[in-house]
Amino acid sequence: MFVVGASGAGKSTFLKLIVREEQANTGVLKVNGYDLMKIKHQEIPMLRRTMGIVFQDFRLIPTMNVFDNVAFAMRVIGAPSRKVRKDVSAVLSMVGLGHKARSMPNQLSGGEQQRVGLARALVNKPKLIIADEPTGNVDPNLSYEIVSKLTEINKQGTTVLMVTHDHSLVRDFNHRVIMLEEGRIVADNAAGGEEA
Amino acid sequence: MKARSIKYLAAEGVKNIWANRLMSIASIGVLIACMVLIGMASLITKNVNKAISTLEQQNVIMAYFNDKNSVLYGENAPAQTDENVSVAEDSFLIHNDEEAKALCDKLSEIDNVLSVEYISSEAGLQSVKDTLLEGKEEYFTFLDEEYGNPLSAAAKITLADMSKFSETLSLIEATEGVDSVQSQSDLADKINAIKTGVGVAGVWIIAILLIISLVIVSNTIRVTMYSRKLEIGIMKAVGATDSFIRLPFVIEGMFIGVISAIFSMAIVYFCYRVATETLMQSLGVMEIIKFSSVALETFGIFVIIGLVSGALGSLFMISKYLKKEGSEFTAI
Repeated sequence: MFVVGASGAGKSTFLKLIVREEQANTGVLKVNGYDLMKIKHQEIPMLRRTMGIVFQDFRLIPTMNVFDNVAFAMRVIGAPSRKVRKDVSAVLSMVGLGHKARSMPNQLSGGEQQRVGLARALVNKPKLIIADEPTGNVDPNLSYEIVSKLTEINKQGTTVLMVTHDHSLVRDFNHRVIMLEEGRIVADNAAGGEEA
Repeated sequence: MKARSIKYLAAEGVKNIWANRLMSIASIGVLIACMVLIGMASLITKNVNKAISTLEQQNVIMAYFNDKNSVLYGENAPAQTDENVSVAEDSFLIHNDEEAKALCDKLSEIDNVLSVEYISSEAGLQSVKDTLLEGKEEYFTFLDEEYGNPLSAAAKITLADMSKFSETLSLIEATEGVDSVQSQSDLADKINAIKTGVGVAGVWIIAILLIISLVIVSNTIRVTMYSRKLEIGIMKAVGATDSFIRLPFVIEGMFIGVISAIFSMAIVYFCYRVATETLMQSLGVMEIIKFSSVALETFGIFVIIGLVSGALGSLFMISKYLKKEGSEFTAI
């Protein structure tokens, strides 16, 4: 699913509400079985463990190699080392970076860095992937590659919510599109395409 | 929290110290300075207290008994006294050594009396000769040979707590059989004033330095935290709990505290040794507390200061950060 809209339309606020960085004043908001209107503070980390986030600026830790950047997401939720080794290797192979596990982030291209970010979002097997303009810092060819990968993940049963400004991507990948304007949904096209 | 998580976080905390080594060294340096000052303040306080207690022991109360000599030569004695003056047996209370010793026992039962030493009339005279008339004893033989011994039997009393000096003195004076007392109440007051002053100054110095230690550790952790803003954001985004995020910082703070404690101990030992050796050589002061007798206690205090300031300083900072600034999606 794509979420589109001009700057200030409310895309960021929408994402912040979903990850419960911000709390809605009214309405109904349920994500992965959690009622975000009633969720307790100590339950928020558990909610976030059910989702993976891909950032526009990759947000890789520069002092950690590719393997550790991905493993970090597992270590902080207390995963056993053996499982960390196995799952990180598997997810790196899946995004085509198995051979770059020991490389540092500054030795990778923008596309590769974003694939590391994607691997980190996937490694805990989330139910929902939130991608915040994941193609914003990569060239058009790599953008298609990344969205193709997300489509593949989506086909395996994971919900993918991608915020983007790239109209060509929205056109070419036939997924549901939600258009926001001034904080409201002005179009929701389940069939794909930007037309309301 | 699982054991493997704690192990991982502890390693992260130690790694952070190295990663932010300049800041860590600066904090360790300032913490050492604070701990050394606390240690020296504590040792000086202990030595002053020891010196005061020595002084206290010397500040005795002399209670003179109501015996025959007190009637003959005491304050209310007749103007003209000679050996032929007769004194009625019932005009005084202490007639012999047994009664005097019984009175000493009675005095030792008074609250706050630490010790009572019986000084017989003869022992008292001998003591006067030894201390005041050294080398000139022959000039004063008239004291006992011609006129007899004029001194009354007495009790040399030391007190446990000088702050209750006047109350205890009144009780001693009121005891039946005591004729008069001699004491240096102004010295007792001075000792009390010094003791209170040293105690208050010590507490203030230590409290101020503790606050400084806390602020220093907090600041180091704050710098570490901002330099690891990205990691904290990712941690929160992938579902790390607040306690998981806090722990490496707390461990880092505590580690800085313990390292500082070890270095401070070495410095205090060296400074104290040099200071005591100099004092002993130049002033001949012998009544100085040995470092070995307070080493364990001092090290314990340093470690506690290090651990507490490290843990509290970092906990305070990271909690404040997580509550107010720790946003995982600010860039979204």
